[in-house]
Amino acid sequence: MIAAISLTKRYGETTAVRDLSFDVQPGVVTGFLGPNGSGKSTTMRMIMGLDLPTAGSVLVNGKSVRDLRWPLREVGALLDAKAFHPARSGRNHLRWLALTNDIPLRRVDEVLDIVGLTSAASKRAGKYSLGMSQRLGIAAAMLGDPGVLLFDEPVNGLDPEGIRWVRHFLRDRAAEGRTVFVSSHLITEMSLTAQHLVVIGRGSLIAETSVTDFVARSRGLAVRLVTPEPGAFTKTLTGSGATVAVDDDGSLNVEGLTAAQIGDLATRDRLTVHELTPMVASLEDAFMELTQDAVEYRSSTMAVSTSGGQR
Amino acid sequence: MTVTAYRSYTPAGRYGMRQLLRSETVKMATLRSTLWTLLITTAGMALVTIISANSALHRSADWYRGFDPTNQSLAGLLIGILTMGVFGAMAVTGEYASGTIRTSLSATPRRLPILVSKATVAGAGMLIVAEALSFACFALGQAILSGGGAPSAHLGQPGVARAVIMSGAFLALFGMLGMGLGTVIRNTAGAISAYVGVTFLLPLLLHPLSGDPVRYAPVQILANSVSVTIMNHSQVSPTVGLLLMFVYSAVVLFAGAVVFSSRDA
Repeated sequence: MIAAISLTKRYGETTAVRDLSFDVQPGVVTGFLGPNGSGKSTTMRMIMGLDLPTAGSVLVNGKSVRDLRWPLREVGALLDAKAFHPARSGRNHLRWLALTNDIPLRRVDEVLDIVGLTSAASKRAGKYSLGMSQRLGIAAAMLGDPGVLLFDEPVNGLDPEGIRWVRHFLRDRAAEGRTVFVSSHLITEMSLTAQHLVVIGRGSLIAETSVTDFVARSRGLAVRLVTPEPGAFTKTLTGSGATVAVDDDGSLNVEGLTAAQIGDLATRDRLTVHELTPMVASLEDAFMELTQDAVEYRSSTMAVSTSGGQR
Repeated sequence: MTVTAYRSYTPAGRYGMRQLLRSETVKMATLRSTLWTLLITTAGMALVTIISANSALHRSADWYRGFDPTNQSLAGLLIGILTMGVFGAMAVTGEYASGTIRTSLSATPRRLPILVSKATVAGAGMLIVAEALSFACFALGQAILSGGGAPSAHLGQPGVARAVIMSGAFLALFGMLGMGLGTVIRNTAGAISAYVGVTFLLPLLLHPLSGDPVRYAPVQILANSVSVTIMNHSQVSPTVGLLLMFVYSAVVLFAGAVVFSSRDA
């Protein structure tokens, strides 16, 4: 597991991460959600020991990464897609990496097979497409078969097939009991992949919550449902705490439940679904919604402290 | 949630220099630029040695007074000053440019052992190559000189073997100086500029100063102190010269180690 304790990172005048504390537990995919520039990557770099915190600390399996005896065997990370030398082949990249932690070289071929790169393993990694680079990064993260995995925006720039592959990969690893921490600025992506969320804005923690709760709290997120039995379905949905509105075309606009949950309810109550579409809301909308109180609170306390200072 | 946390397999002990040295060796061996650097250095040195040796053929008896055949043949090493420095610098800056450094630091987060192993592997590699090339330049140069009827030297003569061996070691130290600059500066173009500035331009600036400070500059030490068999007493001695170069590269590498240990990657 990962534990951040009052993690703070300042670059000169700017504070990238401010007094951030959270836990990432094994067995579920934990999404690390925040708009671009909110401090996600900085936090991930601090977890991996690439950046040193200005204050606070972060522990992986109870230790700072610098104190891990075999780091690659405990934590694997994909922080950016192209963290390899373009002139080396994918296999050779994994070979030197395996040697650092006494990982047997047959594991190199195993992870190449897991990510589906076997046929391209001897090609110069600089010639890989973004999707292949991403897979090489994932292979590197999996090389030591670690119990903790970190992924920074792993689906960025991937085609739909690649995105699906990554989603399944992350969920499968979590199901094996691993700690999986994955960052994204897209709430829709996270609602499909993660079960738990750590939400940050401007470097501060905004929420540590389950995806279901987060989605329920974000009124901007709705699911469009087309069904031949709107009456019965509405009863089922409102019974599960959702808000249901009927749209002009007769479809139902459901808020407070994910598409997956609505599908489960349909199965449970034997209701017919013709269409079930999560309405894409940007994180910015959901985020604004969730942070409105915090922002107002912050500006009002600032006003108070300013007047206090003048007295 | 009743999931059993995944247990990673971790053998006894911990990673250290043994793992890092093997890994850095594979890193160096799996880059084609290593081979290219070697080929360019070899070809360049051969060319300069041929030109230098041929320029000393068919001269007057007067011209050959004080002639140092060893020094004449080792002129080829000057090409290696450039290629070794660039190779040393890029051993580090190449990792920054490609982002490999973040992969390296994730696999082995303690900073100092990474740099020490990299310097050891690159240093050993450069020493072997530089010694081999120094002997090759000497042999090629002497073959041309004796073939052309000019005075030539052999390794059994006083000071000759010393000059050839020390010149090779000196050349490898140029590579370490480049590596130190690469570690401090991190950027390939910046590191190479700094290297060229320090080795080739700084002596030009020092030249007008009194007390002949140029004799303490690396290129001059190699050309006038280390690669000669006939001592010029206005220059530093070969041993002092080699020691000075060792100190120069050690100081820059140490500065690199200090910033590398504390800097965000």
